Amino acid sequence: MSLRVAGALLRAGALLLAAAVAVFAATAALPADAIAVRSGGRIEGEQLAALRAAAGLDRPVVVRFLDWLGGLLTGDPGASLVSGRPVAELVGQRALVSAVLVVGALVLAVPLAVALARSRGTAAGVLVVAAAALPPVVVGVGLAALLAGGWQLVPPVSLLPAGRPPWSRPALLVLPVLTLALPTAAYAAGQLRGTVADVIARPFVRDAELRGVPGPAVALRYVGPLVAAPALRVLAVSAGALVAGTTVVETLFGMSGLGELLVAAVRTRDVPVVQAVALLAAAVVVAGLLLADLAAAATSSGPARRGRRA
Amino acid sequence: MNAPPPGRLGRLAATALAVTALALAGCSAGGAPAASPVDTPSDTLRYAAPSAGRAATNDPHGLLPGESDIVRMALTYDVLTVPGPDGAPQPRLATAWTPDDTLTRWTVTLRDDAAFSDGRPVTATDVLFSLRRMGGKAAENFGRLAMFDLAASSASDSATLLLVTTAPYAEVGTALMGATFVVPAATTDFTAGLVPGSGPFRPTGGDAQTTVFERNDEWWGPPPPSRVIEVRAIADPAARVQAVQSGEVDLAGSVPAVSVVPAEAAGFTAVRKPGATMYPVVMRTDTAPFDDPRVREAVKLATDRQQLLDTVFLGQGELGNDLITPTDPSSPRDLPQRTPDLDRARALMTEAGLAAGVDVTLHTTTAYPGMDTTATLLAQQLAPIGIRATVQIGPPDTYFVDVYGTEPFYVSFLGGIPFLDVVRVALTPGSPTNETAWADPSWASALATALADPDAATRGDKLGELQARLRDEGGYLVWGVGDRVDLAAPGVTGVSSAIGFGAGFVDQVTPPS
Repeated sequence: MSLRVAGALLRAGALLLAAAVAVFAATAALPADAIAVRSGGRIEGEQLAALRAAAGLDRPVVVRFLDWLGGLLTGDPGASLVSGRPVAELVGQRALVSAVLVVGALVLAVPLAVALARSRGTAAGVLVVAAAALPPVVVGVGLAALLAGGWQLVPPVSLLPAGRPPWSRPALLVLPVLTLALPTAAYAAGQLRGTVADVIARPFVRDAELRGVPGPAVALRYVGPLVAAPALRVLAVSAGALVAGTTVVETLFGMSGLGELLVAAVRTRDVPVVQAVALLAAAVVVAGLLLADLAAAATSSGPARRGRRA
Repeated sequence: MNAPPPGRLGRLAATALAVTALALAGCSAGGAPAASPVDTPSDTLRYAAPSAGRAATNDPHGLLPGESDIVRMALTYDVLTVPGPDGAPQPRLATAWTPDDTLTRWTVTLRDDAAFSDGRPVTATDVLFSLRRMGGKAAENFGRLAMFDLAASSASDSATLLLVTTAPYAEVGTALMGATFVVPAATTDFTAGLVPGSGPFRPTGGDAQTTVFERNDEWWGPPPPSRVIEVRAIADPAARVQAVQSGEVDLAGSVPAVSVVPAEAAGFTAVRKPGATMYPVVMRTDTAPFDDPRVREAVKLATDRQQLLDTVFLGQGELGNDLITPTDPSSPRDLPQRTPDLDRARALMTEAGLAAGVDVTLHTTTAYPGMDTTATLLAQQLAPIGIRATVQIGPPDTYFVDVYGTEPFYVSFLGGIPFLDVVRVALTPGSPTNETAWADPSWASALATALADPDAATRGDKLGELQARLRDEGGYLVWGVGDRVDLAAPGVTGVSSAIGFGAGFVDQVTPPS
């Protein structure tokens, strides 16, 4: 068991490192660097080279990566190549907004996904697939037209009150959270429907139902443990998708979170900022996968297996 | 099996959605009465300012990519001069600027009643420090102070500055306009936040999107009508429109043309700022086929300007007459409007030896709305005179690195800057941003003569003649200029119609009562 936990932790660390390398390499491979974009064709030759050297961009990519990694491990993620502001400050200022969106979307998406995953029938399946396939921007515009335009329940933009927590006007969170949650719930449900159907069809579940065990108890004691590990895995990937979804949602509803920061940082080749935000997103996914691994380890000797033997 | 009927699923989803929406809306409705006195007191102006979608910069002297940053700087810091309604410089921190006989040594007199928020008076030393800092960041601010020899300039006394120019330069008032944000001398750290300023407002807080400003009651200027200004940096123009229409803000800067008519019908005020947006088409005068002035003229004559204006700016703007800065005070106003003349254009192409036509690539991007449409339409309009243009749309992030100032034929961008700024950026031989490769020595010497002319009227005439020559001989096709439109909630007044840096000053806007 402890060996398995150690293995899972090791795998999580390796995944994070791989993500960091991949993101760094991808950003470095983009045409033009931060200095070129910042100076927008206004300078050339020696001037350009001097600015590059000042920003440390004249060093080989491997050296830059190791320098960045060293900084990160000692708690300093560096400074923006565009504004000179500390990355920790830029991320810290915005993390709460995005976290509220992602957590809010998860709180909504998980029960919705459970409900959808248990549903059976072709129509339900088609609906789930269709909803999962909708791009967030379409969902967002549609929801805004409905809830803000038609019914006028909530404002069409989410301008959070300055200097107060993002949830101090909850109505502002409705559109962005729903826009993130609905396609994610549909995606998760689509992934889990097959598994859930298989488990429900197992004899011990039918047994329990025939014995008169109440529905929720069946779900919790007999179905839940078998679905837990794949569900957590889907949840981890969904959480990553939600973080990615903030890039669209924040722009659409006028919010300044990590999504907006990431889009701008990629556009301006602001590598330290890209790294920090991308790594945070990766950490969310990896942490979720780690939890799924641990859950799988814990449930491998759970009641469901005993039930199967019985 | 106990499969639910298909209808149940839809109902379930709809119920979940509605319950959540109602619950959250209900929460906020309960909180709203308590929050509203804080949120929308009548002495607060909430401004959705255009942003480049980037994290706010705190350095007033480098690159200010988003207007929201200029707004924040213009509230916090004093500048030396500001553009007036006619685009000519008006006093701000500088009360007078007078040259010697050579027009190379300028005495700039400063107000003696300006003070930074930390109590220190603003002196010539602070001004010189700030100008030198701008000079040091020339690579980021388009060499804004390139006409000055800042090392040779000096502070004569606490309220007087001696500014030395590298050549006779009669338009020093214009050169100091807009961006000359004055900070305390010897300030080194511009990353932690805005440093003490002497402007009409003082930053008191905020978050990644919003900076909250409170009126600086010690400011020397006219008392601002609002006590608090909230500046929100919002990148998406549609989100800015929605924000003002739903009452979340009082003023939205630079909204899409398509939103203006419905908003006016709904009672909002549209503040039009003519001459703000221009997508001139660059033809490099040193590269075939555009090195032949007849080809450039043919392009100018083949262009259907009205169609471009109607399509790209939805008719909200003016036809272009190939004048590069039509709203500059010195731009000639009496030239006939250039109209399509395909016969003459074809004749010019034949004269240039291109009767069989020519293949060219027309570069464009999606950095600003309508740049791509400009290229598509123009390519169609040039086909009848044998110019077969292939439109290539480049990614917006690298367009100004790869295409701008490099390619021979592309859609460029100019946003409401004065003629002499365009000269410095785009018409100076040897500069990497001399995008049309304009290097006519007689034009350059005529420019030097104009700038050495102490008489404002004759100098204006000379500058006008230079612009007329550029119109006929230069490499810019200026087919139109788009208005910028700001949307204001009912009761908001005092929004300036200035463009460029002038649009960044909102301290005299009256909030809704």
